[in-house]
Amino acid sequence: MTSTEPLIRLESVSKEYRLGFWLHRRVHALRDLTMDVRRGEVFGLLGPNGAGKSTTIKILMNLVRATRGTATLFGQAPSNREMRRRLGFVPENPAPYEYLTGREFLSLAASLAEVPRREIRSRVDEVLAAVNMERAGNLRIRRYSKGMIQRIAIGQALVHRPELLVLDEPTSGLDPLGRKLVRDLILSERRRGTTILFSSHIISDVEAVCERVAVLVGGKLVRSGGVAELLTNQVPVAEVVVEGLTAEVVRSLGTAVQQVEALDGRLRVRVADDQVDQFIGAVMARGGRIRQLQPERFSLEDMFLSALQEAGPRGTVGGEISE
Amino acid sequence: MNAFLATAWNGFREARRNRVTVVVGVFALITLALATLVTQVTVVTFRRVMVDTGLGLMSLILVFLSIFLSSGLLAREIERRTIFLVVTKPISRSMFLWARYAGNLLTLLVLQVVMTAIFAAEMALYRFPLGPAVWASLGMLAVELFVVTAIGFLCSSFLGQTVSAVVTVGLYFAGHLSGDLYRFATKAGGFMSTLGHAVYFALPNLDRLNYRPLATYDVVPGWDIALKSAGYGLAYGIGLLVVASVIFERRDFK
Repeated sequence: MTSTEPLIRLESVSKEYRLGFWLHRRVHALRDLTMDVRRGEVFGLLGPNGAGKSTTIKILMNLVRATRGTATLFGQAPSNREMRRRLGFVPENPAPYEYLTGREFLSLAASLAEVPRREIRSRVDEVLAAVNMERAGNLRIRRYSKGMIQRIAIGQALVHRPELLVLDEPTSGLDPLGRKLVRDLILSERRRGTTILFSSHIISDVEAVCERVAVLVGGKLVRSGGVAELLTNQVPVAEVVVEGLTAEVVRSLGTAVQQVEALDGRLRVRVADDQVDQFIGAVMARGGRIRQLQPERFSLEDMFLSALQEAGPRGTVGGEISE
Repeated sequence: MNAFLATAWNGFREARRNRVTVVVGVFALITLALATLVTQVTVVTFRRVMVDTGLGLMSLILVFLSIFLSSGLLAREIERRTIFLVVTKPISRSMFLWARYAGNLLTLLVLQVVMTAIFAAEMALYRFPLGPAVWASLGMLAVELFVVTAIGFLCSSFLGQTVSAVVTVGLYFAGHLSGDLYRFATKAGGFMSTLGHAVYFALPNLDRLNYRPLATYDVVPGWDIALKSAGYGLAYGIGLLVVASVIFERRDFK
């Protein structure tokens, strides 16, 4: 495998789950997903609950098998054992063995990842420090809070210094401090050159750390590309605060008014950026006053919401069910 | 190999830290120690009663523990998702299954060794040495645990925890009655005979591994017969584990 080839590649991957006693109901969790993750980048998988993010990750981690299509990591099938030495994985709601202490669990993870025995202790100490768990390392995991479990799960994924880190909803359910710690860990791994695939429905987290994203809705890929590129492709909008006119009058001005919101005797109006001049002229002509004009910065959240809207009802439920 | 040993040792550690295992283990040791009380109600057959009670208790408790530890193990790992953090490491699913099996077996064997030591001490107290018949029975009990644990693992590889436990218990009893099934099948004719024999060969013949009656009456079994029985048990257990591995390798962990 050359260094320019994608580290992760999915080609027309689909997954159907069969449900019911006679297995006659089919849930299409993923449909024809094609995407790749390049070496050294932080790639975000975005989507609402049931979009297929976890299914995608489970296929890559060999936890479920794709019904159709091919998935490769480092140019190998997900079932390849040798390849798994090079990756670390944190599942959604991780469940480490709770009868072990954090230190014992990390040692077990290091042994499973074939870290040389003489290095295990130092690696465990190093990882406990990295996830800020030195003081709780000798405590049974049964006594850990959710945030501590998440940190120890991240620790087990890092203990063998993987080249690829796959994180499924790593910040879900964490308090702001815990989320920051996870984000900082991701950024520090990126600096080390680790490739990271990161799934989340918390858009601000994805926006903070990812270079490229793919948006899944109802098991289908609806957007993908660099974060900056996706945001510049959005039609810019300006927010104008108007005084002295009613909402009805503003709506009837003839320009492309996207949204009007009454605000304590004023109106906050969202207008397409290329029509702002025309809108201001129309407001002045009707005797209104402009109190504020502010271009709106597009966020990944706007892009995500517009992708959801385009997907229609598919965007709010899990995989499609057929008999 | 390191990963195999680490997983097996972790299984042993899990059982050791499981309250049920500890409570059952302590209960077994106390019960075994108190088994001498049965000599109070017998007149001349001290040895026979002590051997029968001791081996019976060991068998009952170890088989219960074997079913408890094995029948829900894989299903529990999947339901709790602890398996996600293990099988995504460079360890195959089959290796994980065999290593967990080895860990379970190690727990049972350690417990059996401790129970045997107490039982031997008790017998020594009454100046009854453990003869070859008793040792053969103890060896065959280990083989029976090998088979019962393998049944638990097979069921657990594709069933939920409760169903797996029920099926394992059912197969244990069916395994002890399969000899009768063979006799019925031989007497019956036609299709019922074929069906009966097929079911007999599919079920484990656990009665073949029960050497307790021989030990009670101090009858030393022929080594050829004992070896054949042990070979049968080991082959049957390994066969079940191979099937469990194939199922486990192929299934989805949703």
